[in-house]
Amino acid sequence: MNELLLQGLVNGIILGTIYALIGLSLNVIFGVLRVVNFAHGEFIILGAYGAYFAQKLLGLSPFLAMPLIFLAFAAMGYGLYFVLIKRLAKSDDPEHASLLVMFGVAIALGALMLIFFEADSRSLSYTLDPPFFMFGSVIVPTAKLVALGIIVVITAVLAFFLYRTLPGKALRAIIMNRDAVQIVGVNLERMSALTFGLGLGLAGITGVLVALIFPAFSPFIGQDYTLIGFIVIVLGGLGHPVGAVVGGIIFGLTEQTALVYTSGTTATLLGFLLLIGVILVRPTGLFGREALK
Amino acid sequence: MEGLKLSMEGIEVAYNSDIVVLNDVAVTGRPGEVTGIIGPNGAGKSTVLKTFFGLLRPRKGSITLGDQDITRQKAFQRALEGIAFVPQHRSVFADLSVRDNLLLGCWPFRRDKKRVARAIESVFDEFPVLAERPNAAASSLSGGQQRFLEIARALVIDPKVILLDEPTAMIAPKISKEIYALTRSLADRGATILLVDQNVRSCAEIADRLYILELGRNKAEGTREDFASDDKLREMVSEWMNYKIDA
Ligand SMILES: Nc1ncnc2c1ncn2[C@@H]1O[C@H](COP(=O)(O)OP(=O)(O)OP(=O)(O)O)[C@@H](O)[C@H]1O
Ligand SMILES: [Mg+2]
Repeated sequence: MNELLLQGLVNGIILGTIYALIGLSLNVIFGVLRVVNFAHGEFIILGAYGAYFAQKLLGLSPFLAMPLIFLAFAAMGYGLYFVLIKRLAKSDDPEHASLLVMFGVAIALGALMLIFFEADSRSLSYTLDPPFFMFGSVIVPTAKLVALGIIVVITAVLAFFLYRTLPGKALRAIIMNRDAVQIVGVNLERMSALTFGLGLGLAGITGVLVALIFPAFSPFIGQDYTLIGFIVIVLGGLGHPVGAVVGGIIFGLTEQTALVYTSGTTATLLGFLLLIGVILVRPTGLFGREALK
Repeated sequence: MEGLKLSMEGIEVAYNSDIVVLNDVAVTGRPGEVTGIIGPNGAGKSTVLKTFFGLLRPRKGSITLGDQDITRQKAFQRALEGIAFVPQHRSVFADLSVRDNLLLGCWPFRRDKKRVARAIESVFDEFPVLAERPNAAASSLSGGQQRFLEIARALVIDPKVILLDEPTAMIAPKISKEIYALTRSLADRGATILLVDQNVRSCAEIADRLYILELGRNKAEGTREDFASDDKLREMVSEWMNYKIDA
């Protein structure tokens, strides 16, 4: 096989898992809360800054900062639910209202980061030894391998939680039948707040990973990640956890193999074409059933 | 099984803040009794049950369980107090197994592992069809079996009050009969049952007391004997159903 293509495939899988993680958290949030988190990308970037400042001010390595950032973001999400999202449920059309509100949060958060963190691109400084591995002719930076390992572990823990524990099943039950879950005595409000906390916690971790594997980040790139997240969940099926993982990897592979042959713009375009193709053939996404209803 | 009296008094409920669907409604269910709630489509029967369960917030009026005012309690708190609800529309968790559906029914006391095990065992005894396929996805069950699963899931908490919303709608006659028999037997074992039903004849057969709702108001109420003997009551029922209750 063509070496460049092979390199593209490897990159595709690694980036695909990051996209999967973004889609997964968006999907869990949407499935449980019916809230489209338009600000997800900004929260991811905030997570990246979290790692940056943890390193700069506290001397913490990004790997140590990761669990702390998860906890901090989860607490922030839990609180934000009560401040912001709970009220949306009272509006006549919570889904659309949430779109607008979260869009507003995205703009505000982007602007705040610009004010406080300034427009310069930042990067984490860390050294991994060796800096990269060679698999035959394919070069994989160690940071990417570590990120891959972390994502695999996180996804496995999340899958265990969602599919093997009772609270996880309750969370999925909300996605399946939101009305019925109150019938069995689940505190929907508390579950929703915890879910938003989980979603933002994952966004924070994603941010640290993004900062680890990409050379730099700035307050302006949040929307890129939100957009990728939306492509992934529409591909995989709105509100479907497994769909998000598959959608993320498919999108990562498409984008990165396309990059081998064309420019970045064309690669992004191909991603959108893929999305439109899936929508034409299967409007509910690869795994979605009636999630759109 | 021990029932508790559940009643609403002067209840007003509105959807979307404007459209009033219940107007000064009063309904009471008593331990050991099946209380039937009947009335034409859109009369507000389902709304009454949802309000009893705390899914809707009344604008006026009060709800009491035993001698406790539960008007301000949320749905999950009422589940903890022993109110179980089987709603009109499908409420099984489709992708979860039969056992997981029942385990979620035990949510209010999920940390009490012994009680959970006992509860699951006892509903499996009561519903052998479910015990046969504990690992089947709920969506793979037939309509009747899903209804049994919904009822079984309501029973795991050993409820004091059971709210049933048209449990036999779109269910085969044979299964319907079993559901009515079960409903009656739950009341005979002491539970308080509130039964909303379109099938007036069957409802009247097992109910100790009937409420007629119309356009979100109480229209009439009485015991089974009242309905059998009072011509005006019988007339009222036959107005909107094409047959009279057989005395
Ligand atoms: N979610 C809702 N939003 C707005 N109006 C509603 C809603 N649910 C019910 N209604 C209205 O409230 C009224 C009472 O509805 P409800 O479902 O309680 O009637 P019902 O007696 O159970 O009828 P059915 O026999 O058809 O089940 C109806 O006019 C209905 O259109
Ligand atoms: Mg109804």
